[in-house]
Amino acid sequence: MVETILEVKDLSVRFDTEEGVVGAVDRVGFTLMRGETLGLVGESGCGKSVTNLALLGLVPSPPGKIVGGEALYRGENLLEMSAGKLSRIRGNRIAMIFQDPMTSLNPFMTIADQMTEVTMLHLRHTYSEAIKHAITMLGNVGIASPESRIHGYPHQFSGGMRQRVMIAMALSCKPEILIADEPTTALDVTIQAQILELMKQLQESEGTAIIMITHDMGVVANICHRVHVMYAGRIVEQATCEELFARPRHPYTLGLLDSVPRVQKSAAGQLLAIDGQPPDLVHLPVGCAFEPRCRFSEERCLKEQPMLREMTPSGRAACFLDSLDGSKALSKETMDD
Amino acid sequence: MVRFLIRRLLWFLLTLWTVFTVSFFLMRAVPGGPFDGDRKLEPDVKRMIEQRYNVDQPKWKQYVTHLGMAAGVLSEDGQWRWGLPDLGPSYRIRDYTVNQIIAQGLPISAALGILALSFGLVFGVTAGIIAALNRQNFTDTGVMLLATVGIAVPNFWMASIGIILFVFWIPLLPAAGWGSLSHLVLPAFCLGAPYAAYIARLTRTGMLEVLHQDYIRTAYAKGLPARRVIMRHALKGALLPVVSFLGPAAAGILTGSLVIEKVFHLSGTGTYFVEAALQRDYPLAMGVVLVYTVVLYTMNVIVDISYAVLDPRIKLQ
Repeated sequence: MVETILEVKDLSVRFDTEEGVVGAVDRVGFTLMRGETLGLVGESGCGKSVTNLALLGLVPSPPGKIVGGEALYRGENLLEMSAGKLSRIRGNRIAMIFQDPMTSLNPFMTIADQMTEVTMLHLRHTYSEAIKHAITMLGNVGIASPESRIHGYPHQFSGGMRQRVMIAMALSCKPEILIADEPTTALDVTIQAQILELMKQLQESEGTAIIMITHDMGVVANICHRVHVMYAGRIVEQATCEELFARPRHPYTLGLLDSVPRVQKSAAGQLLAIDGQPPDLVHLPVGCAFEPRCRFSEERCLKEQPMLREMTPSGRAACFLDSLDGSKALSKETMDD
Repeated sequence: MVRFLIRRLLWFLLTLWTVFTVSFFLMRAVPGGPFDGDRKLEPDVKRMIEQRYNVDQPKWKQYVTHLGMAAGVLSEDGQWRWGLPDLGPSYRIRDYTVNQIIAQGLPISAALGILALSFGLVFGVTAGIIAALNRQNFTDTGVMLLATVGIAVPNFWMASIGIILFVFWIPLLPAAGWGSLSHLVLPAFCLGAPYAAYIARLTRTGMLEVLHQDYIRTAYAKGLPARRVIMRHALKGALLPVVSFLGPAAAGILTGSLVIEKVFHLSGTGTYFVEAALQRDYPLAMGVVLVYTVVLYTMNVIVDISYAVLDPRIKLQ
């Protein structure tokens, strides 16, 4: 039996804004197993980043506020932990890397200073131990001649190199969980592939569980074992990676898959976009939040909110439809041509 | 770095020369002369005085002599020499050379200015950080209100209030004069207060901007305690606007010290800055202007260097 290391239940986060209360995250729950990669997918503003910032107490407050739920890490609720205790976990047991490596490193400090302060704090390293460790870590993430580069500043590194530094820094205390918030979005395609490959390798050698936040289905296919799809602050589908690509259960997932360009597709084939705009989180509809954009929408979807329900032994979806097969013809045509 | 300093030194000489030339002719373009008084002088007497001070010579000749003296290569009677700059005798303060007057006044003004600026920096930066961290609550509003008052209140008024409070009501400090450090506390406070206020505002804005940066989130995600994030990760970036304000602040303190020096009877250079110009005491006015040029130029070089020290992305060139 694989061990669960993080269990999130009914997490809700709200933001008080001038336009009203935004329910950024609404009763989100998931579990993370040791050593696996869990994908959190969805378009901008669907709450995938906020969910993870909330776990580490990093939601800017005000305006943000965690209004309910729990996040159990080793049996302890992260959401109710004292600031001191939580900061001993942050960067140590649970580390995080961010979307934009160009702005995530402090431009005023050397790489050495930024990397050593983590291990000096959490692992009680002396400065010389910390430097040695940091150089090893930089070597592990593929930075050439780390013993001299470590004394450089972030602006002397390229985007891909900076993300490697971020990864090295995040992994320097051997965390059990690595939260990667769109780590490849700001990088160009060849670098993206390298970074993903690096993360896979490090996961195998270190056994770190990764929560991969992304909107890129290509990244999901490449690295994730299981996937959760989020829409308007809720999880709308949970599945294994194979299942999700072979047989999406939620119309939104289907839409996401249809909007991915494929090499095999003929030049005449058009990419399908999901019509309409993401919903206004201040005024969510009573029924299914995806209903206005859904091509399978029924009468019932307007009045009632579908809850996550089991579709297969390992997959759940928040949709009233048992199967999207009726329209499979359409998506099959676009997928398999 | 060495190349930067050499370049700056050359520009410095050019700047000094320009300031000298412009001031020289501007001062003399204004109607009236140093020896015009209420009482008309006998023509012979006037001629003799003018001869004594070489004012009877043509302008270009005076210019060459004065420039040579200031550069340290000519003596007053036109002989070659090699030495320190000589700014000549004062036209209005008898028996004193400009060098002597400046040697007397500059230490007082310098002490006052440095103290005022340090005071402005220490209080301003501290208040700014406190305000930024307590954003939009009572402390922030209080500090910013105080800062606005500090900028708005004229310093002679603040000086009067200061004297009433700390000399008459609570006899802690001397009212005026010069001699010990305690004589400088009140004047430096009054002179530095508006700058403290301004620096507080700059620090607060800078800090708030930096605190929104991604790298601050990274620092928190690393598990660093808040104090360390602010002092180590945020402060440097937040201080950049303050550093660039130091140049203009130094200029303001130099030229603004006049009022404070009057109120507290300090015989610094600030007084001469205005009086020499009004009395057409050309050499003294020139001396003070040149001293101010040197101070300001040095200050700006220091600002540039601090910038490069604070921000590794900036290269001196």
